Amino acid sequence: MAGAAPRVQYLAGLCCPLGGLASGKPRVLCHEAEAFLSTGSELVYVYDLEGGLLTAAYRFPGQVWYLELLAPRRALYVLCARKGIYCLSLDHLSRRSTSQDDGDSEDGELPSSVIPVGPDACVLPDASLCAFTVLDGTLVTLVQGPTQWKMQLFECPCPGGDPQPGGQIGEVELSTYTPPAGVPGKPADPRFLPVLCCMSPPASRAPHRHLWGSGSFTLKEALFGLLFGVDATLLESPVILCGLPDGQLCSVVLKALVTSRSAPGDPKALIKILHHLEEPVIFMGALKTEPKAEEAAEETLPGEDVHFDCLVALGHYGRMLAIKASWDKAGNLVPELREYCLPGPVLCAACGGGGRVYHSTPSDLCMVDLARGSAPLDPTQPEEGPGGLPPLLCPASLSACSVVTLSVSSRAPEGGTELLALSAKGRLMTCSLDLNSEAPGLSVVSRANTGQKIKELLSGIGTVSERVSFLKKAVDQRNKALTSLNEAMNVSCALLSSREGPKPISCTTTTAWSRLQMQDMLTATCLLENRSAFRLGQGWTLCVQVLTSSSALDLDSAGSATTYTIPVDQLSPGSQREVTLPLGPGENGTFDLPVTVSCTLFYSLREVVGRALAPSDSFEDPFLDEDPPNVLPEQEGICLPLSRHTVDLLQSLRFPSLAPPCTQAPPLRSPADPVDTFLEACWEPGREPGSQPVGPASLRAAYLPPSVACIKVSAELLRAALEDSCSGVPLCCATLQWLLAENAAVDVVRARALSSIQGVAPDGADIHLIVREVAVTDLCPAGPIQVVEIQVESSSLADVCRAHHAVIGRMQTMVTQQAAQGSSPPDLRVQYLRQIHANHETLLREVQALRDRLCMEDEASSCTTAQRLLQVYKQLRNPSLVLL
Amino acid sequence: MSLQTPPDSSCLDLWREKNDQLVRQAKVAQDSDLSLRRQQLAQDALEGLRELLHSLQGLPAAVPVLPLELTVTCNFIILKTSVTQGFTEDQALDIQWGLERVLETQEQLGPRLERGLRDLWDSVLYASSLLPELLPALHRLAGLQAALWLSTDHLRDLALLLQTLNGSQSGSSEDLLLHLKTWSPPAEESDAPLTLQDARGLRDVLLTAFTYRQGLQELIIGNLPKALSSLHEAASGLCPRPVLVQVYTALGTCLRKMGNPQRALVYLIEALKGGSTLGPPLLEASRLYQQLGDTAAELESLELLVEALSVTHSSEAPQLLIEVELLLPRPDPASPLHCGTQSQAKHLLASRCLQTGRAEDAAEHYLDLLALLLDGSEPRFSPPHSLPGPCMPEVFLEAAAALIQAGRAQDALTVCEELLSRASSLLPKMSQLWKDDRKGTKDLPHCPLWVSATHLLQGQAWVQLGAQKEAVSEFSWCLELLFRATPEDKEQGAASNCEQGCKSDVALQQLRAAALISRGLEWVARGQDTKALQDFLLSVQMCPGNQDASIHLLQTLRRLDRRDEATALWWRLEAQTKLPQKDTTWSLPLYLETCLSWIRPSDHETLLEEFRISVLEPRDL
Repeated sequence: MAGAAPRVQYLAGLCCPLGGLASGKPRVLCHEAEAFLSTGSELVYVYDLEGGLLTAAYRFPGQVWYLELLAPRRALYVLCARKGIYCLSLDHLSRRSTSQDDGDSEDGELPSSVIPVGPDACVLPDASLCAFTVLDGTLVTLVQGPTQWKMQLFECPCPGGDPQPGGQIGEVELSTYTPPAGVPGKPADPRFLPVLCCMSPPASRAPHRHLWGSGSFTLKEALFGLLFGVDATLLESPVILCGLPDGQLCSVVLKALVTSRSAPGDPKALIKILHHLEEPVIFMGALKTEPKAEEAAEETLPGEDVHFDCLVALGHYGRMLAIKASWDKAGNLVPELREYCLPGPVLCAACGGGGRVYHSTPSDLCMVDLARGSAPLDPTQPEEGPGGLPPLLCPASLSACSVVTLSVSSRAPEGGTELLALSAKGRLMTCSLDLNSEAPGLSVVSRANTGQKIKELLSGIGTVSERVSFLKKAVDQRNKALTSLNEAMNVSCALLSSREGPKPISCTTTTAWSRLQMQDMLTATCLLENRSAFRLGQGWTLCVQVLTSSSALDLDSAGSATTYTIPVDQLSPGSQREVTLPLGPGENGTFDLPVTVSCTLFYSLREVVGRALAPSDSFEDPFLDEDPPNVLPEQEGICLPLSRHTVDLLQSLRFPSLAPPCTQAPPLRSPADPVDTFLEACWEPGREPGSQPVGPASLRAAYLPPSVACIKVSAELLRAALEDSCSGVPLCCATLQWLLAENAAVDVVRARALSSIQGVAPDGADIHLIVREVAVTDLCPAGPIQVVEIQVESSSLADVCRAHHAVIGRMQTMVTQQAAQGSSPPDLRVQYLRQIHANHETLLREVQALRDRLCMEDEASSCTTAQRLLQVYKQLRNPSLVLL
Repeated sequence: MSLQTPPDSSCLDLWREKNDQLVRQAKVAQDSDLSLRRQQLAQDALEGLRELLHSLQGLPAAVPVLPLELTVTCNFIILKTSVTQGFTEDQALDIQWGLERVLETQEQLGPRLERGLRDLWDSVLYASSLLPELLPALHRLAGLQAALWLSTDHLRDLALLLQTLNGSQSGSSEDLLLHLKTWSPPAEESDAPLTLQDARGLRDVLLTAFTYRQGLQELIIGNLPKALSSLHEAASGLCPRPVLVQVYTALGTCLRKMGNPQRALVYLIEALKGGSTLGPPLLEASRLYQQLGDTAAELESLELLVEALSVTHSSEAPQLLIEVELLLPRPDPASPLHCGTQSQAKHLLASRCLQTGRAEDAAEHYLDLLALLLDGSEPRFSPPHSLPGPCMPEVFLEAAAALIQAGRAQDALTVCEELLSRASSLLPKMSQLWKDDRKGTKDLPHCPLWVSATHLLQGQAWVQLGAQKEAVSEFSWCLELLFRATPEDKEQGAASNCEQGCKSDVALQQLRAAALISRGLEWVARGQDTKALQDFLLSVQMCPGNQDASIHLLQTLRRLDRRDEATALWWRLEAQTKLPQKDTTWSLPLYLETCLSWIRPSDHETLLEEFRISVLEPRDL
């Protein structure tokens, strides 16, 4: 059967959106000589198969999601997204049909008349409808509720008749589902719609032709009874099969669904879950797999009472379920259930005659055969009882790609099958399969046939070229991805192998103040330099993480981290890129110093490789947004750390006093310092006549003496450390320059040789840094040693702490470096050191005690405790210890 | 950061005009007779309100616009709820958004933290003390919040909200009814933008819905006096007709359970006068008459119920307002007010006829029911599927039993054959069965109990027709199947999900006993007492508690003149009768009960008495 030569013939081209049609919503139905098409847009086309032209197009008020035809009533039912179900009379259609120029033209021209469909054709307005199916007297709908799927049953409204919608005669809630995330009130379009399908028992006395439609099948008694139970069998009731996007397959006995409107049915009694496919169900159907009966079936006209003996359901990723009924040794009826894996993702599928299932993927249209004859027969199998399902399926390619919807035509030629398909590019085509391929006659080609033959070959070439362009595109994409991966490998190797010396790709961070939007901002500038020989191409991202320390005043609060990701795009060797980020003040106007800025390079495998490797990807791309299953390694990309930089108070200090007067910034003190306001309020000139006028500054001096911290470092140590910079400069000045090395003001400090400086902290408080040399006498037995004392003074306690922290940090680094060089400290008087240590121990203990008391005391006494605590802290910050 | 400058006042007028126009459109939709047109108008109005709300919320919140914005929010929620016939999470979000907008003007929003609706309401109501012009709109929004919380059973939140609204600090927050009653929303000003439903209307709806819910809940858990008072409260409030019918029916149920049948009857009659939904009060009336022992009246109400349910009354289109019905709990099959479908009512009527000995009526009703279920080409009638209830095979079997009881054996045979032919595809292949039997394999097919029961009833029908041979063969076939089935058999796929009812141990035992006794009786009728003895003996072994089996055995033993065994058996029987009767209220399927009644020895008291004399006399001598 794989040798069947498919013949593809293009019929018409339809308008299709840029990027092609998405699967799931387009539909093709054919009835006698007419085909009804929808592409997922607002239009429904009618195509005359015999005349070979488009006869009409109807414009609906919303996107068309589903079509079904009720042949005996000659009515076309159309589901419009978020509008409801519309009904058109076919008689009405044929009257309106207009003659049309050549339908074979592929320019997507519409027929001359597009007939708008008005709201009066709406038979069931409901914005949340997702699927429906029509039986003769009833309309079964599936509605998306806020938390559940709801199946509803209506008396079938007929076209052009009573505008009153048929009364609802039944309702039941299906399983739970997670509603798609969307803007509240504006739900997102569902990617997968549920599928409904009607299965009826063979004995049903109701006329069968009424079940005409793409979604109706008559099952053999045994399979029907087995799947749906004795009640459905006795009632001879049709059963609605429902395949949900979460993979559930459930069934509802239609006659049992009839309930009074006041009471929806009990789901436990009504709903039977048959299976769970674990991937969105996109197709359900029934097949006839018994070989003996097959011949009989082919004799009868298609659509006549064929009793199917196998139920199939197909999931989006290619999982296919087939169920048959069989008897075990004891004579009990047992289900035979098999799952197959077909190549996915499946765009659409259809059931053909015999046991054939046609399914389409973006790259091919395939056929599998579940019929008994297709698999080698087991001779030991008892002759009675249905034969088993084949253990494996071999998809046979039909050489047509990206078919988005498919229907088996009712006008099949003898011994063959004709498929009506719509491709992603909006082309309507027929695909004829001559299944009796061994039939002779191919060699005898008469002259009259030659023209036909050539036409066929040409259209075959057309299919092949479409397929080739698709495959070529896929290959290009893969090549591009591979090149990109190779570059990424080179860059990673270069970065990771250079442990010493400057990295080939570096990122340096500097800080500066700038004035943005009426506000002074501290900004960090990260400079990414590519000194390597490789290019940073697509897929690379620079990630800058700004991590603030937890606020000193609030011990519980954790620091916050902000990550900025900047796509690098293209950075060729030797070039550089600059990124400036705000560091503060934050939304509440505070600075949480120190701030750590770490820069990382990230290479996204998903972005580069994912697209090329996903088999689903193609120009019609309905799948770009989804995760390609199992083709990507676990991690999403490569992460290369570049640099880490800490911004502390010393770097963010500003020195308005140093600036030239003309460019001096306005006073930075924040206007609403509550203490100042308070002090100002206290100070009213003339209130106490005779006393000299007192300004807030002096009040502050009197009542709020500035906090002070100081650090002493042995001059020798400093001199050794600052050897290269302090030549010819007094040690104090060199120290100050060293401390402010990363500040923009360092040049002025150097030029003026300052040893003390008055600056302003980011939050506006004054900070005074004083460096001076003193001699400490009682520390060393060898005599007094020269010591550099760094004193930090500020009215803001928090800023003193930050500055102290920053200075200590630099000291630590310096001492570690010096220790590595092996400098030895002078002899010390151990007794004295012990004394200092003991003093500190007591102070620390006192701090602990005071803090404990602070928690327990009332307000009045806690005030004195707090004062004492402050004093102790001040003592602690002023150690007699010297860094040597 | 709110801009306190109001938008151009002409713009405000424009929005207001738009709101008023949409509200009028919704009211036109309300009055429209054509339900399709109605639905479309309502959808359009809803869409319009959504757009208007979007444009209002696109600007920073400002106090002068807020009353209009909140009014539009309320109208939107009311229309959406009534169009979708229920509250969803979306409505809660809409309310929350409205509240946050109010707080925005007060700059109290602070960092946008996850705040519960309760906290939001607290801060808004606190803020609103500063903005009296917002109060009417806020009360309306609070009414909607209350409706939402009532429908989702958040009664505690609801009570706290009402407490805050009333400004009452004291009093227990539990007394929701009191809070609802004392809540008096401020009167709407005449020049305010139009609303679909005002706060006072909402309050009245809430009051009725709450008391009715409360009453129904108490009724279900059996707290009757409380239920009665709540239901009375509900009935005295503002109550639309269909709800009033429900309330009266619930009152009837409550009073019947409290032992006040006469008062219950008064309410049920009121309910029947009330409206178009006649089902629940009729069903309740039948229960009431059954309790009173008035079978004729009971059956009459059931007949009326069937008739009432056959009319598929086109339900009146719901109002485009928040109505009491929206706030009631979802109809539940377990609720006392659930009356099921027509076929369920028909089944109830038929089985009650059979139980009360009106076999002819029962047979007719069963035939009607089967016709209703099987012949309808269009699915209009659902099978009596209510759980716990009989499944379809049992309906067939009951029908056959009723026909035999009514003396229509031939019809009963037809019904049984129909059952077997319809289910034939599900039955094990019998040929296979015999083949395996010869091979002696242990895998025996499982056969559902109802198949055996069908053969039993077929046998009984043949008995009635006087065809002993057929009868015996059916009974034998039945026994053959029954001894293959074991109660713990896992039923295979062919079993229906309600098979559990007839699968119990007891049912299987009784079915075996019934088949054995039936066959025994046939042997007796053919004069083959030894064979009969065997069957009766087996049935006594099978089911020692079954007195009928023992008495048949006793009779046969006496006929065979096996005195000693008979005496021993009689002593055992005597001892059994003296023992306190065990609780024998196993609920057997109705067809089995009926069948067992046919094979009950008619004169068993006199037989025992005779025996007493014959046994005791020789001893006295």
